[in-house]
Amino acid sequence: MPRLIAHATGAALGLLILSGHTLACSSQEATTRLTFSGSALGPEADVVQRQLARFAERHPEVRVELQVTPDSADQRHQLFVQWLNAHAATPDVLQLDVIWIAEFAAAGWILPLDGFESGIDDFLPASVATARWRGALYAIPWFVDVGMLYWRTDLLDRAPRSLIELRQDALRVREAKSARLGLVWQGARYEGLITVFLEHLAAFGGGILDDRGRVIVDDPAAIRALTFMANAVNVDRVVPSSALTWQEEQVRFAFQNGEAAFMRNWPYAWALLQDESRSRVARRFAVAPFPAGEGGQPAAALGGAQLAINTRSAHPMLAAELVAFLTAPDQMIERARLTAQLPPRRSLYDNAELVAALPMPLEQVRPILEAAVPRPATPVYSELSEVLQVWIHRALTGQEPPAVALQQAAREMRAVLVRAGLSTEGPTR
Amino acid sequence: MGAFTRTLAHRSAVVSSRPVSLVLPMAGALLLAALLFPICWMLAASLMPESRLFESRPLLPTAVTFEHYRALFDERDFLVPIRNSLLVSGLTTLVAVPVAALCAYALARLRMRGKGLVLACVLAISMFPQISIVPPLYLILRELRLLNTYPGLVLPYLTFSMPLGVWLLTGFFRQLPKDLEEAAMLDGATRMRALRDVVLPLAAPGIASTAILTFLYCWNEFLFALSFTLGPDRYTVPVAITLFRGRYQVPWGQVLAATVVATIPVALLVLACQRRIVAGLTVGATKG
Amino acid sequence: MNHGTASIERAETRLAWLLVAPALAVIVLVSLVPIAVTGWDALHVHDLRLPWLGRPFIGAGNFVEAVNDPRFRAALLHTVAFALISVPLELVLGLGLAVMLHSATRGRAFVRVSALLPWAIPTVVAALLWRFMFDAQTGILAASFRTLGVVGPAFDWFVHPLAAWLPIIAADVWKTTPFVAILLLAGLQAIDPVLGEAAQIDGAGPVRRFFTITVPLLAPALVVAAAFRMLDALRLFDLAYVVTGGGPGSATEPVSLYAFITLMQRLRFGYGSALSITVFLLTFAFALVWVRLLGRSLTGARS
Repeated sequence: MPRLIAHATGAALGLLILSGHTLACSSQEATTRLTFSGSALGPEADVVQRQLARFAERHPEVRVELQVTPDSADQRHQLFVQWLNAHAATPDVLQLDVIWIAEFAAAGWILPLDGFESGIDDFLPASVATARWRGALYAIPWFVDVGMLYWRTDLLDRAPRSLIELRQDALRVREAKSARLGLVWQGARYEGLITVFLEHLAAFGGGILDDRGRVIVDDPAAIRALTFMANAVNVDRVVPSSALTWQEEQVRFAFQNGEAAFMRNWPYAWALLQDESRSRVARRFAVAPFPAGEGGQPAAALGGAQLAINTRSAHPMLAAELVAFLTAPDQMIERARLTAQLPPRRSLYDNAELVAALPMPLEQVRPILEAAVPRPATPVYSELSEVLQVWIHRALTGQEPPAVALQQAAREMRAVLVRAGLSTEGPTR
Repeated sequence: MGAFTRTLAHRSAVVSSRPVSLVLPMAGALLLAALLFPICWMLAASLMPESRLFESRPLLPTAVTFEHYRALFDERDFLVPIRNSLLVSGLTTLVAVPVAALCAYALARLRMRGKGLVLACVLAISMFPQISIVPPLYLILRELRLLNTYPGLVLPYLTFSMPLGVWLLTGFFRQLPKDLEEAAMLDGATRMRALRDVVLPLAAPGIASTAILTFLYCWNEFLFALSFTLGPDRYTVPVAITLFRGRYQVPWGQVLAATVVATIPVALLVLACQRRIVAGLTVGATKG
Repeated sequence: MNHGTASIERAETRLAWLLVAPALAVIVLVSLVPIAVTGWDALHVHDLRLPWLGRPFIGAGNFVEAVNDPRFRAALLHTVAFALISVPLELVLGLGLAVMLHSATRGRAFVRVSALLPWAIPTVVAALLWRFMFDAQTGILAASFRTLGVVGPAFDWFVHPLAAWLPIIAADVWKTTPFVAILLLAGLQAIDPVLGEAAQIDGAGPVRRFFTITVPLLAPALVVAAAFRMLDALRLFDLAYVVTGGGPGSATEPVSLYAFITLMQRLRFGYGSALSITVFLLTFAFALVWVRLLGRSLTGARS
């Protein structure tokens, strides 16, 4: 009997020691330690490791660590908020999605980067706009993602110049049975859905917030945009209903297997689609901006990542140097070559090195970049987006008519802004 | 009742029982098949190459590949969540079961007022929806800097493992013969001595059942692990599998391989200890 | 003599409370105190992402918002409907499985293991499994339904607000029927076979025997099983989170999931706490009803 108790106690102690040891190991300190946290999936991991190592070579007294975060952006967001809300001093440098910057800046979690103001004009204005909060600069654009319309050059003569043409082309291709699906886009209930919606919004001349910060998703233009999307799924059936559960990769598979005539996706897909060993559409596609509808413009949802510095970082100056290093032209070109992510520096687009490094032809990319449309820069963006996601998804799955869905969404979004003390509506609305 | 009617009744009884005696095993076999099929399918699908998974008729696996398992351990370092789950479940069991055993012994074998109240409280608390205690636990763990640590999960796990242990062990202790300790104490032993030398050995199977069930519940727990761990270095197995995402999609092959790996320890436990498990589950019901 | 037994009793009671104290202390610390804190936080504004708002006291403000929140009302409806559909299913199927386990003469161990496996598997594993089987591209069940013509060729289970419930209910029933069966099996084994034999001699067929003898005697076990399952069903989270994420839109979102999203994703702790407390009150109300019922059924059985 005593032996049993002794064994059990020993086991418990052993487990406690083991867990304590693991705890202790993770809090060891060495020389000046800089922590960088961002996405490190696939080729991105290689590039980041390489560039961090190069920085460490130039600064021998510094050790740069890559802090692993979950792959999905939503989880990384949740994680960052929890860390920063808990006043964590690490990571020192954070890779932020463009839609999080206003939120982190308003909460005082990231430092204003006045030292970078002088060189900021080289960056794409739309990207810089998302990095500003109340006029100050809080992050430096690192790479740019823009929504692109991929179209099959073997099934169509030219890219559609309007939404009407897009719809007609898709119907025609489907009827001729040259492709089973007309158009595919990300329709799952997540942030990607908002980027698709954003492009449709801009195509009809609508938006999410106007330039005074008021909610305008219940404007007639927005209702037309959502009706167009809902009809595409439920009436014309040019978009498969399964797309309402798809994220980027499933959309890519559909296009890659030759099942769709059009795909709306990000630049990362280009290199994968050109891989002849796996793709059935290699060398038979091109990209164009998402076309305009009535009263609108061609649009490309602006995504991408920016680098920011933790307010509670123990080494802000060093962190700033790391940010400057990673956003230098050389590093950007290397990244473009290895991950096909577009650099946000305008001057690079006249640089022959970049032209050689990018897998996609520059003359197709340029008009898309020029059509870039950012999402609203507001601290409560993620909550606004979540509300909008649910209502758009309900409309697309036929649970609500588009007009009702958007009116409800607008009502809830206004309530969010009021609650956060950010409402700019007049009292009568 | 005449002989004729009695014979009729007997014959009809025999006749009517025949189809039933066929129906029952058949229905049972169907039910069993329904219970086992998903597990077999999970195993089969985890061995299929990725491309076959996406074909429209993935019914019969023709090729067998261990690619997903390899990727699971090489690229995703799946040993980390396994280690985390083992540590957290083991620690919780080692803390909860002894403490609960002491309490259960008192409730089952000693005279005290308010026994019923304590038991009712324990039962009531085990009915708390976990989500209801997530917010304050999160804030407390954050203040104590225990988020994303092992103690930071063991503590919340005690919220259900302690009541579970007390409830089960009280039932087991009650099943022991009444005058067990009296006999030992008549020989001059103290009550604690009697507990240690006489009661515990007899209660060992019940304690084992409780420990196994506690471990199982901790291994399978999801909500607390999802809320109180912050990164892949401390995810437990259920959280790790659920959050398996590429940048843009769910890699089904690896997910299925992970589910198989997550099921193996559970299956082994069930195979080895099914009698204990059943004993544990029913001790609550029979004591009514 | 009297004095001696009284002091022995007191010593025993003291020992008893000593032994009970640690467990009780832990339970109070990690369960009762947090629930009180949740209740307290529910009366304040507390948004982790908007630190400039502070933490002002707003009384029942969060609860008023909840009552007026259509998404919350829908979540309540989803939760209750789910419980009312899946629990009876599990009871019926569990009873069938228990009868089978009871009458099986050979291969008992095999049957028991087969019954235990689905219950023992982590809920998220079961959820992923059923999500996989219903997946439009890779799911074997989805493909079978399409081949059988039950649904159209382009039908996607997770896009339809009602159909998306099927994988969730299927996973829950699959996973917990064995648990119910085992609970009922104990009850079945406690029934005196003499009663059944007597009825058979009186000419009652097996079906009649089942409904007039077995079921009434199983009533206490059935009530216990129903209560446990009902409580668990009202707390539905894991399955909804993993199988559908609450979608399409928010059509398969139970209250626990909505509370979780509000707390851990939107980081609105004040409002989220109010939602959590409401879930707690819901289950508490049900538990009260059950205790009354159990008490009555037990005394009824004894008489």
